Amino acid sequence: MSYIEVENLTKSFTVRKKREKGHLLREKTTVQALKGISLQIEKGDLIGYIGPNGAGKSTTVKILSGILTPDGGRVSVDGRVPWLERKKHVRHIGVVFGQRSQLWWDVPILDSYCLLKDIYRLTDADWKTRLDELTEKLDLGSLLRTPLRQLSLGQRMRAELCGSLLHRPELLFLDEPTIGLDAVSKLALRDFLKEENRKNGTTVLLTTHDMEDVAALCRRVTVIGHGSKLYDGTLNELLARYDTKRTVTARYDGEVSLESLPESCSMSRDGEDWRIVYEPAKVPTPELLSRLQSVGSIRELTAQPQNIDHMIAAMYREMDL
Amino acid sequence: MRIKAYLSIFRMRLKQELQYRGAMIGGICCQAFFGLILVALYRALYAGHPQTVPLEATVSYVWLQQAFFRMLGATDNDLADRIRTGDIAYDLARPLNLYGYYYSRVMAQKLTGSLMRAAPMLVFAALLPKGWGISAPASLPALIAGIAALMLGLVVSSAIENLTVGFTMRTLDPRGIQAMLNLLMMILSGSILPLTLFPDAWQRVIALMPHTQMLDAPIRLYTGQRSLSELLQIIGLQIFWAAALLGLGLLLWSRNRKRLTVQGG
Repeated sequence: MSYIEVENLTKSFTVRKKREKGHLLREKTTVQALKGISLQIEKGDLIGYIGPNGAGKSTTVKILSGILTPDGGRVSVDGRVPWLERKKHVRHIGVVFGQRSQLWWDVPILDSYCLLKDIYRLTDADWKTRLDELTEKLDLGSLLRTPLRQLSLGQRMRAELCGSLLHRPELLFLDEPTIGLDAVSKLALRDFLKEENRKNGTTVLLTTHDMEDVAALCRRVTVIGHGSKLYDGTLNELLARYDTKRTVTARYDGEVSLESLPESCSMSRDGEDWRIVYEPAKVPTPELLSRLQSVGSIRELTAQPQNIDHMIAAMYREMDL
Repeated sequence: MRIKAYLSIFRMRLKQELQYRGAMIGGICCQAFFGLILVALYRALYAGHPQTVPLEATVSYVWLQQAFFRMLGATDNDLADRIRTGDIAYDLARPLNLYGYYYSRVMAQKLTGSLMRAAPMLVFAALLPKGWGISAPASLPALIAGIAALMLGLVVSSAIENLTVGFTMRTLDPRGIQAMLNLLMMILSGSILPLTLFPDAWQRVIALMPHTQMLDAPIRLYTGQRSLSELLQIIGLQIFWAAALLGLGLLLWSRNRKRLTVQGG
């Protein structure tokens, strides 16, 4: 049996909408947030859980962390049913909700950490060791006595992460932890998570819209949309499936005509630059290059790197999300 | 036991309350002003028509009532906001009973809110001339009995406020239930009209409600209007209401648990 087993999980919410006419009456509609999700996660996995806004990612995380009660389905996390044994369950897990705060707004973050020590019943020595380790890795030393409200977003996210890891959870749920962070903070956060996973064997489930996060961290990705699971496997396989097109940009000395290129290529011109989009499956890259060279003398040739966001957007389009 | 965690939450809420010193000073000035006006009013009333209760006792009553005013009403929007915005998700991710978690916060807010205002207010009231300021307690046992009853009153009023938090989980807006319970509180605790002015039959019923036990009974113990022989009856009634309201709250919260939605995604 896997560390986390999810079978046919369903959850619906009631949403009240104002009617088009009249101001008093509201219509009740039921939104099916999860339509039978099944998942298996092994101990020590680092999994990316992706999907467009409103796909049901956060709902899954909230059920797995014992916060919400599902309508149906079976969940077992290390043998525990999260919503039935919430207090026992949450002792072993850590959660970070990227757009919320668990630390107290008006008081120094160290006070919040002291409170967490009592809530999780950590011994002073254990708490101190862990806090020292985390403050060093997350570079929080100089911020411990600053109230949360005076920290920048990046500092705050590091502080939040420290708060979620003080009790050494064996399972960590990260719900959009890099939302709104600058490049330096993002990279630091990724390095930290990688090390935490490698050194302590922490199982991590990460939901994000930042595909760079997923590419840098996750061995496995699960894609959900409209409450159903659409893909489960490695990121590379997923990309191979949707990464069918390549783009090169060529600049020539003098005027040239590119009409002799195969029909499957599409071309556009931007000033002196020709932008050629082709499918390597139909026109192999060496062939395309020799054809490009044959029409004129190339001054500059650039191959565009793969853009994961474009691929994911193409994937969502294809999956009709 | 987990009691340490709840005490720690309590301490934290105290710290947070201490951050807003400006609001505290403003509150003190406002309540001191109200106190002076009420005292002047009662003095005018007494000058026209002497009452059975001595003037000094009534004036002391006014000051104590103003000092611990914050203990009564449901005014803490902190928790309601956590429910409205969905930050409650983090609170549910803690190995704690949510009712106990929020109860500690409510009680800490009420205790600091009133103690930090009460201390300077009572010093101010003690400095005023006789007949305007607060008088000494009827006796030392009366003072001790008053404080004990006040603490039990805090337990009861926190339980009532936590009920409003429980309702907010269903309605997502605390204002309706807060306004209703606060109005009931103001009337039944004698904050709007002194309870002695109600018809006798009403007074007998009102005296059984939890509201009179929170502030009215402790103050009357202090001024000596209620004798120490009544202490057992007062405390018995307080314990009954504390148990009933805590039980009701726990029941409401455990029902909420199954239908909870986290707002804001």
